[in-house]
Amino acid sequence: MRVIIIGAGEVGYHIAKKLSEENQEVVLIDQDPAKIRRINENLDVQSFLGSGTSPHALRSVGIEEAELLVAATDSDEANLIACLLARNLNRHMVKVARVRNREYLQEQSLFSKDLLGVDLLINTRDMMVETILGLMEVPGASEVIDFVGGKVKMVSFLISGDSPLAGKKLSDLKAYEGNLLVGAIVRGHKIVIPSGRDTIQPHDLVYFVMKKTEMGDSLAQFNMANRPMKNIIIVGAGETGMAIAKALDERRLNVKIIDQDGERCKKLAGILKRVIVIRGDGADRDLLREENAGAMDLIIAVTGDEESNVLISLLAKELGARRSITRVSKLSYMSVVSAVGLDTVINPRMAAVRAILQYIRRGRILSVAPLREEQAEAIEAEALETSDIVNTPLCRVNFPPGAILGAIVRGEEIIIPQGDTIVLPHDRIIIFALQQVLPKLEELLTVKLEYF
Amino acid sequence: MNYRLIAYLVAVLLFCIGLSMTAPLGVALYYGDGSAPALLGSLLLTCGAGGGVFFRTRGQEDFYLSHRDGVAIVTLGWLAAGLAATLPYLLSATIPDFTNAYFESISGLTTTGSSILKDIEALPPGILFWRAQTQWLGGMGIIVLSIAILPFLGIGGMQLYKAETPSPVVDKLTPRISDTAQALWKIYIVLTIIEIFLLMAGGMNWFDSICHTFTTMPTGGFSPKNASIGHYQSVYIDFVILLFMFVAGMNFSLHYKLVKGNVRQFFRDPEFRSYLFITAAIILVITIDLYGAAIYKGIFEACRYAAFQVVSIMTTTGFVTADFEQWPVLSQQLLLLCMFLGSMAGSTGGGIKIMRIVLLIKHCYLEIFRIIHPHATTVVKLGEIPVPQTIMRSIWGFFLLYVGIYIVATVAMAALGLDMISSISAVATCLGNVGPGLGSVGPMDNFSGVPFPGKWLLIFCMLLGRLEIYTIIVMLMPGFWRK
Repeated sequence: MRVIIIGAGEVGYHIAKKLSEENQEVVLIDQDPAKIRRINENLDVQSFLGSGTSPHALRSVGIEEAELLVAATDSDEANLIACLLARNLNRHMVKVARVRNREYLQEQSLFSKDLLGVDLLINTRDMMVETILGLMEVPGASEVIDFVGGKVKMVSFLISGDSPLAGKKLSDLKAYEGNLLVGAIVRGHKIVIPSGRDTIQPHDLVYFVMKKTEMGDSLAQFNMANRPMKNIIIVGAGETGMAIAKALDERRLNVKIIDQDGERCKKLAGILKRVIVIRGDGADRDLLREENAGAMDLIIAVTGDEESNVLISLLAKELGARRSITRVSKLSYMSVVSAVGLDTVINPRMAAVRAILQYIRRGRILSVAPLREEQAEAIEAEALETSDIVNTPLCRVNFPPGAILGAIVRGEEIIIPQGDTIVLPHDRIIIFALQQVLPKLEELLTVKLEYF
Repeated sequence: MNYRLIAYLVAVLLFCIGLSMTAPLGVALYYGDGSAPALLGSLLLTCGAGGGVFFRTRGQEDFYLSHRDGVAIVTLGWLAAGLAATLPYLLSATIPDFTNAYFESISGLTTTGSSILKDIEALPPGILFWRAQTQWLGGMGIIVLSIAILPFLGIGGMQLYKAETPSPVVDKLTPRISDTAQALWKIYIVLTIIEIFLLMAGGMNWFDSICHTFTTMPTGGFSPKNASIGHYQSVYIDFVILLFMFVAGMNFSLHYKLVKGNVRQFFRDPEFRSYLFITAAIILVITIDLYGAAIYKGIFEACRYAAFQVVSIMTTTGFVTADFEQWPVLSQQLLLLCMFLGSMAGSTGGGIKIMRIVLLIKHCYLEIFRIIHPHATTVVKLGEIPVPQTIMRSIWGFFLLYVGIYIVATVAMAALGLDMISSISAVATCLGNVGPGLGSVGPMDNFSGVPFPGKWLLIFCMLLGRLEIYTIIVMLMPGFWRK
C-alpha cells in the first residue's frame, strides 16, 4: 500500500514510522529541510521536500497510485487544501485530515464525499478531553482503552512499591483467574507480554484486561480503587484546558482552572458557571498552596509547554495532590516520565497516531490499539473456523511467545480466558502481541492484518 | 559501536559470498579443469567462517545501526570479501603469493580490472569464472545485494547503502530501501542477461560471453583473454561491449525511470546530457588525432578504436582493443583525463563522476560571476534543481581528497622506483577503478612488476576509489573509534 503523509511533525513522523515498519510504502512530504533530513536518517521511507498543497508535488510523489493520504501538518487550512487536491487527483484514495478549528469541525457537510471527501477527521483536542474524562472514571489508571464497545476494558496501572501486587509472580494470581488478566507489562523501555513465570515489579506499568461490570471489585482487591475525583485543578487554559473545564462545569465537582493570561481568564470566567478561574503562574508553589493543591484529588497540567507540565505535576504531587494527569507531546519523553513518578501522561500525538491506525486497520481485525511507543498492540478480532485457535483448549494452542489472549466475547458473555478455556468459532477475541510476532499471529488466526 | 552486530552482518555477507562460489565450482566441474577441489575448499572455508561467526553472534534483538556502524560494516565487509576472494587463487596455486592474490581479488571486487597475471589464458576456466564473478558482485555492490536479500535491516539498510554508494545525491527510488536495492539488482541482472545473448549472437562461446558480460556490466574490465576484447577483432563485439559499457556507466536510477516509462526525464537528465556530450567530444578529438597521425586505415577505423577506448576508460571499465600507448601524446593525455572524469553518479563505474565535475565547474563559474556582480545571489543548480550548500561542500571535500590522495600516492609510487608515466597512471587507474594504465602498467603489460609495498598502496587506492574515499578515510580517524 502506498501512503502519502503530509507534514513530518510528531504525528506524521510516527505514523510513517509505524507503517514503514509494517513494510508499507510511505512517502513523507514536508517543507522543512531539517525535518526531511531527520526522516532520511531515521526512517525507511521516501521523503519529498515541498509543499503538500502543491498539485505538482503531490503528482511527483505518485498520488495517483496511492491509497491513503494523511494530512497532518499544523495548519488546518493546509490539511484541508491537501485533501481537496488529493480528491481531485485521485478520487478513490482514503483521506485522513487533522483539523482543530472548531468552526470547521461544526460544518459537517464540508467533509462529505461531495466536497472535501475526508474519511477520518483527527482532532487531538477533543481526543484529549475524552481521554481525560475516561481516566477520571477509573481513578488511578494511567490509560483506559475500550473494547467491544466498552464492555471489556483494558486499564493500565503504575505499580507502586507498596502495592500488594509488587513482587508477585503472575502464576500466584490464580485466585483472580477468570476475572482479570495481565496482558502486558511495560518496564522502562521494554514491553513484555507476560507468561506465568513473569513477576510484577515496582514501577512497572501493568495492563489489565477486565470486564466492565467487575472492574470495581477487581480493583478494590488490589487497593487500586480510589475515591472518586471531587477536587480538581486544571493548569493551563489553552484549548484543551478550556474544553475540559467546560465539560466538568456541568458536574457537581470542585474545579479550579489556573492560567497566566488575564484576557483568557476573563473570557473563561464569562463562560463558566461553577468552575473557579484563577489568574496566576501554575508553576508557582505559593499559588498552588494558596489554592490548596495538596488536598486535591487530581491535577491536570495542560499548559502549552510540556516541560512546565511535568514540573507542575511534580510540584503538585509533592504538595500532596493525589493524582496527576500530565500532557506531554514529545513521544521520546514518554518512557522516562513514569520513572520520575508521574502516574498518568497523555499525549495528543500518540492519540492521533492511534486513531489513524485504528481507522486504517480493517478487514477481519476489528480494532487495534498500539501500546506504549507502538512496540505492542492490542488486537480485537474474530476467531475464524479455519484457524487453529478454535475448538482446542487454550493451553494446547500453539501461541507464539510474545502474544497472549486477553478476552473472549461470546454474544453477551465475556470470558477472561484460562488454560482450559476453549475458543469457539465466531467468538470475538482480544489479543496482546508484540509487534514482531504479528506475522506469526496472522498465520495462527488465518487472518491478514489488512488495511481498509 | 555495536561490534556484535557488525560481526553478525559481516558474517552473513561472507556466508553469501561463500555460497556464490557454487557457480565457478559448477564451471570447474563442467570443464573438469582440476580447479574444483580448490573452489570447493574455498566455498567450505568461507561459508564455515561466515557461518561460525553467524552462530556465535546471532539472536540479537536490536537492529539499530548508527552511521559509524554502517561505515564499519561496509569497510570490514569489503576487506573480508577480498580475503574470501583470494582463496580460490591461493588454493588452486594459480596465484600462490598472498599479496598478488589479494591485489587480484580487490581489483576484481572494486571493478578496477588491473591484473598481476602474465598469462591469463593459462588459468583454468573455473578460476577465470570466479575472477569475472568477483567483478559482477562488486559492481552493483555486495552490500546493496545484502540489503536486497536481507530486508529485515530496515533503516539500518539505509546507513549501509549510503556508505557503499555514496553518490553526491542519494537517490531512493522507492519508499523502502530494500525495494530500491532489489530494483537496482533486477535492472542489473536483466541487462546482464541481454548482453550475454547479444555476445553469443556475435559468435562468442557461452563461457566467454558470460565472463565478458560479468566484467562489462560492473565496468570492471577483467577479460579471460590476454589481448582483452582485441582478441576477437570483431566490429560487432566491439559495438555490443561499447554499448553496454556506456549503459553501465549511466545512473541506474535513470534506467529505473525508463523502465517505469518516464522517457522524458531520462533524456532531460542534466548529468546524462553532460555524460553524452563529454564522451562524444573526447571521441571526436581522439578520432581526428588518430586520423591525423595515420595510425589506422581511414576515418572509420580510427573512430572505432577511439570510441571503444574512450568509453572503456571513461566508464572505468578498462577493456582494450588497441595498444593506446602507440597513439599520439594528445590521445594518451585525454585518456588519462578520462580516468579522472569517470562515469555518472549512481552507476557501477568509478572516477570522480560526471555529476561532481559538472557541479564543480558551475560553482567555479559562479565564483567568477560574483566578482563581476558582487551583490548577486547565486545558487548552483543541477538542471532546474538548486543544490544545497552542504552537498557542494562535501563535493569540494571529495575533490580535494581525491586529488590530494592522488598526488601523495603518485609520489610514493615514484619513491618505490616506478617511472614518471607509470606512477602517475598506475595511481590514476587504481583510484578511478579503471584497470590499465600507461608505461610499465600499460594495456599490454600488467601490474606484476610493481614492488610489494606499491601493490598494497594500489589496493588501498582501489578501495578508496570504490567506496568514494569518505567511507574509508573516516575509519582512519581516531575520533571514529572513540566512544
